[in-house]
Amino acid sequence: MISMILKTEWLKLKNYRAFWLLLAVTAISYPGINGIAYYAFMDSIDAKTQSGQLVKMLLGNPFAFPQSFHTTAYLSSFFTFIPAIVVIMLITNEYMFKTHRQNIIDGWKKNTFIWGKFISVLLITLIVTLFYLVVASIIGTIATPDADRTKIVEKAHYIGLFFLQVFCQLSIAFLLGLLIRKAFIAYGIFIFYSFILENMLSGLFRLKSKKWGIDYGHYLPFEISDRLIPLPPFIGKFNEADNKLAIAAIESHVVYTLVLTAFVWLLSFYIFKKRDL
Amino acid sequence: MPVLEINAISKSYGKIRALENVSFNIPKGSVFGLLGPNGSGKTTLLSIVLDVLQANSGGYKWFGESPTYLHRKKIGSLLETPNLYHYLTAVQNLRITQTISGRGNEGDIHAVLEKVNLHERKNSRFSTYSLGMKQRLAIAAALLGDPAVLVLDEPTNGLDPVGIAEIRGLIKELATKGHTVIMASHLLDEVEKVCDHVAILKRGQLIACGAVEEVLSAEDCLLLSAADQLLLTEKMGRYPGLVRMNATAEGLECYFAKGASSAEKVNQYCFEQGMVLSQIWAKKKRLEEKFFELTSK
Repeated sequence: MISMILKTEWLKLKNYRAFWLLLAVTAISYPGINGIAYYAFMDSIDAKTQSGQLVKMLLGNPFAFPQSFHTTAYLSSFFTFIPAIVVIMLITNEYMFKTHRQNIIDGWKKNTFIWGKFISVLLITLIVTLFYLVVASIIGTIATPDADRTKIVEKAHYIGLFFLQVFCQLSIAFLLGLLIRKAFIAYGIFIFYSFILENMLSGLFRLKSKKWGIDYGHYLPFEISDRLIPLPPFIGKFNEADNKLAIAAIESHVVYTLVLTAFVWLLSFYIFKKRDL
Repeated sequence: MPVLEINAISKSYGKIRALENVSFNIPKGSVFGLLGPNGSGKTTLLSIVLDVLQANSGGYKWFGESPTYLHRKKIGSLLETPNLYHYLTAVQNLRITQTISGRGNEGDIHAVLEKVNLHERKNSRFSTYSLGMKQRLAIAAALLGDPAVLVLDEPTNGLDPVGIAEIRGLIKELATKGHTVIMASHLLDEVEKVCDHVAILKRGQLIACGAVEEVLSAEDCLLLSAADQLLLTEKMGRYPGLVRMNATAEGLECYFAKGASSAEKVNQYCFEQGMVLSQIWAKKKRLEEKFFELTSK
């Protein structure tokens, strides 16, 4: 059954140029953002100025192993919106071409159709995580020529956290595409919500948190998984108390993220089953 | 056992009643025409039996069993428009149909493309096809693996006259091989030429159903002419068993309850009334006339 679903989804994707193009853009964006940040950092600490030396002394090298896994995950997560566009495209295309109907007419159960998309989103997440892992490893190797191999894996759990964050956010993108059905409206809402509205709400909840005694902003759909990868220590040092709290909350946010992701997929199965196609 | 049993299906879109308590059976091996004007509920009914829409009430059975996805795998279907991946070629699209349905193999893909005259363009993307070619590819997808039952919603949509004739020929060929073809159409001529059974829908209600001959000949019609048409009309007005009359340029159409009269009896009656008929013709009603008669009530 799974091999049949995999084969069908592969047949849908393997000759779809837009899919490969966007994956290539993702593949370029990760070394791009991390490379720029790395060279900017190296430039600043290489400077013979007093501030350059101060930065070097205070921050260490955030791109060296094992910190590389954390820093690269944090920077790469800014570009999750590109694979999210791919995921929205995968589901809205089916609605645009009405092939979601044809798949059912030809003999798929409605659940099988959503399983197909679940597997696709999972594979895209794996590919994206692989991009991140390659970038983190290369930058880490460059930044740590004399790396102590035993310490390299100290922060390797960020690989799993990055995977979970991407999978959760791509799952939300999928649900949005399933609900909206029109590609450009879904892209617009996704970008507006994830980049603007949620940040505004997050700021608003932060302001109210002192009065309410709780920051509800931590539980917004994207913020739940954003908090899996807190600010890297070299930035976090500027607000050490908050950073410690954020790192302590990672475990809870793993649970919240898993619950949210499960809810998103259960809702997707339910909507597709109950809705007229 | 019927291939498809439709039992009291109703479906609404908000306040609009798309189907109201529709029931009928589709016999095995028939070419079954589902007729009705635009918006009569044909596509809605086919969408329900193919599980893309859910009925508000009622149900249906495929092959005498409660419907499952396994039944749909055995049915070749074209619903409303060709629903295929625009960025894929004909062969690539049919591979997806093959993988999902399990019908046919790589050789069959090429065979059905030959059958619908698309083999030369088999490696062109679907988006580059004309409307007629898209329709041909959708028909090829339905034919893949030679399914015993085909559901074709407006199969000749977008086809040129040659294409229409080819598809009609194909449907007739399938019928001779014992396949069941369920075909929705608003083209009466098409249904009359290829179907042996018909169901007529009007505003979501079933208004006639059965073998085409039965549906057409609920009444007998004789076309009469005489030197004095006025006198003929007056005399025939008193004929026992006459249901109605209609004066046309061809002559006087006289309708009788099925089996209530015959050309012989009418001829004798007229002769006894002192009239000699110059024409008496047992007219076979065309589906088009019957359709308009039923749907205009």
